[in-house]
Amino acid sequence: MDDNALKLVIVGHVDHGKSTLIGRLLFDTGSLPEDKIIEIRQICSSLGKEFEFGFILDNLEEERDQGITIDTTQIFFNSNIRKYVIIDAPGHVEFVKNMITGASQAEAATVIIDAEEGVKEQTKRHAYILSMLGIQNILVLINKMDRVGYDQNRFNEVKKSFIDFLNDIKLNAIHFIPISANQGDNVVKKSENISWYHGPTFLEALDSIPAKQTFRDNPLRFSVQDVYNFSTRIIAGKVISGVLHQNDDILILPSGERTHIRSLEEYMKNPTEAETGKCIGVTTTDKVFCDRGYIFTDPHNAPKVTHTFCANIFWMDKKSCKKDQPVIFRCSTQESRGTIINFHTVINSSSLELIGENSDEIHNREVARVTIQTDIPVIVEEYSKTAELGRFVLVTDDISAGGIITEVFP
Amino acid sequence: MIVVLAIDALEYDLVKKFHCRNLMQKFYGKTDISEFSEPRTMVLWSSFMTGMNIEHEILSLGDNGMWNARVENKRTFFSNFVNPAVFDLPGYNYETLHHEEERKLLKKFFDAKHDSEKESVRQSYNRLAFDHHKKIKNNFTKALKESHDLVLGYFSIADVIGHLNFGNAFLMKMIYRDLDEIAGGIDSPFLVLSDHGMKPIGFFGDHSSYGFWSSGEYDLGEPKITDFKKIILDLFHEQRAV
Repeated sequence: MDDNALKLVIVGHVDHGKSTLIGRLLFDTGSLPEDKIIEIRQICSSLGKEFEFGFILDNLEEERDQGITIDTTQIFFNSNIRKYVIIDAPGHVEFVKNMITGASQAEAATVIIDAEEGVKEQTKRHAYILSMLGIQNILVLINKMDRVGYDQNRFNEVKKSFIDFLNDIKLNAIHFIPISANQGDNVVKKSENISWYHGPTFLEALDSIPAKQTFRDNPLRFSVQDVYNFSTRIIAGKVISGVLHQNDDILILPSGERTHIRSLEEYMKNPTEAETGKCIGVTTTDKVFCDRGYIFTDPHNAPKVTHTFCANIFWMDKKSCKKDQPVIFRCSTQESRGTIINFHTVINSSSLELIGENSDEIHNREVARVTIQTDIPVIVEEYSKTAELGRFVLVTDDISAGGIITEVFP
Repeated sequence: MIVVLAIDALEYDLVKKFHCRNLMQKFYGKTDISEFSEPRTMVLWSSFMTGMNIEHEILSLGDNGMWNARVENKRTFFSNFVNPAVFDLPGYNYETLHHEEERKLLKKFFDAKHDSEKESVRQSYNRLAFDHHKKIKNNFTKALKESHDLVLGYFSIADVIGHLNFGNAFLMKMIYRDLDEIAGGIDSPFLVLSDHGMKPIGFFGDHSSYGFWSSGEYDLGEPKITDFKKIILDLFHEQRAV
């Protein structure tokens, strides 16, 4: 996947026009080869059918199944200012698993609602899982406006009913856009049929989403892997956020000691900085106590040291897990025994149905919002802030769950 | 009105894969055609309409002759109906000239030496099949609005196109979608029946050794194609009794 592309997920009720929207988006942004469109038009004509934009996605799906297209769970398109990739959508267990375990993260989500049918149960379930996944940039498209005569009152009705629901689950949408994916109104091109709407088109709204920060803007986090006592004492680890420089003033957690980086050590090299992802040895100006699992951080922007935090987890073990059952928590190089002290909500990852609230246990392929308590203090952060300290696994006999941290308690 | 969608080479696995809900109806499954030596179109449909395995009789007409087979009306279950409309059914009122042209083009395709010639023949072949499909579809749809006690439409598109294009999954998907739409437009109770399915041979398609059935009302299990005479007549009598 292109790391610079903005990752977008499109969700909504099965008949509300997701395929048509994707086809229209690919077509209007010129992201498809001309011969592909000709082929689809020819087949439609042979069968006496009108061309539909949804057929474009059908075509890509069949090519994926035959191994012609590598993967249509990732569909790329470009605007004039950046690249986008549409990633797989809720309703697919793998998508929920990947999102919850932090294997892939959508940066923006689009909820599509049929103007005629309005908000359906499936629309609500999808919105609910978006709230669990912590996606901040949410666009709502009220589709099939052509079927309701581009009626502003109907648009406002649907918008209001969905805002009421979003308020209940504490989710905000940044735009509500009236569109017709079939006719091309307000998807890429401004609609002349919806003159009462003065906001952005769907593509303009996507382009207005701020680009993600580069690693250089992120606060320093260095995860200690081991300590070697040679002629000098070298602390080996990995920069998991920001950039580590020679002479940096650092805070060591959980001990709370302060010191400076005297040197960065790499075989046959004399580096003065190490970027995110780099494994490297360091020496410090003071003799500090340090062990595997310790974190060096920017003293002015440090994570919390805690026993308790909220997280979303995906349970992938055939054996279920009960409340207060011992588990091993692993995050970066840290490890602690702990327990899940509350299953706030448990959801079926396939149907996205709510299975229970304040439940006693979680089963295979279920997703839950939980509170976890560790036996020893751990250094963790919200996943949206520092991925490596916000992503973890839970181990029973083997790895049983992956999760992302949503809230850290002091 | 009893409606039968008789679809040549409708493949059970593809009906499922493409989520053809109208073709699947409430109950669906595979038919058992293991009593026949090979899944031959003329043999299977002739046996269907008579309710008897008449493979020996059809094969005795020879490779060319069997395509012109015409089973007498009185031997078929159609004779139990007052005003039936049956379209293009092999062994009954099959449009022999049209289908002969298809077979000629198919042979021409495999005889062609160069890719460009093959592609040109493929296009002619596909066009011929699609045009015929649209004609049968129109006639069938029109008949559904008329006062027939039986409407049976035989659709050969999945078989004809499948033989040369089975590897073009998108094309096959669009054909199955179209057949599904035809099923979705039927208001009366109906049966879907195929003679056999289709399996891939490289990019091409060949007949598979089972057929497909579906019903909105009855779970038929794994019926034989010869069972459908009784099934259809029972439905008809049931309908008349109501």
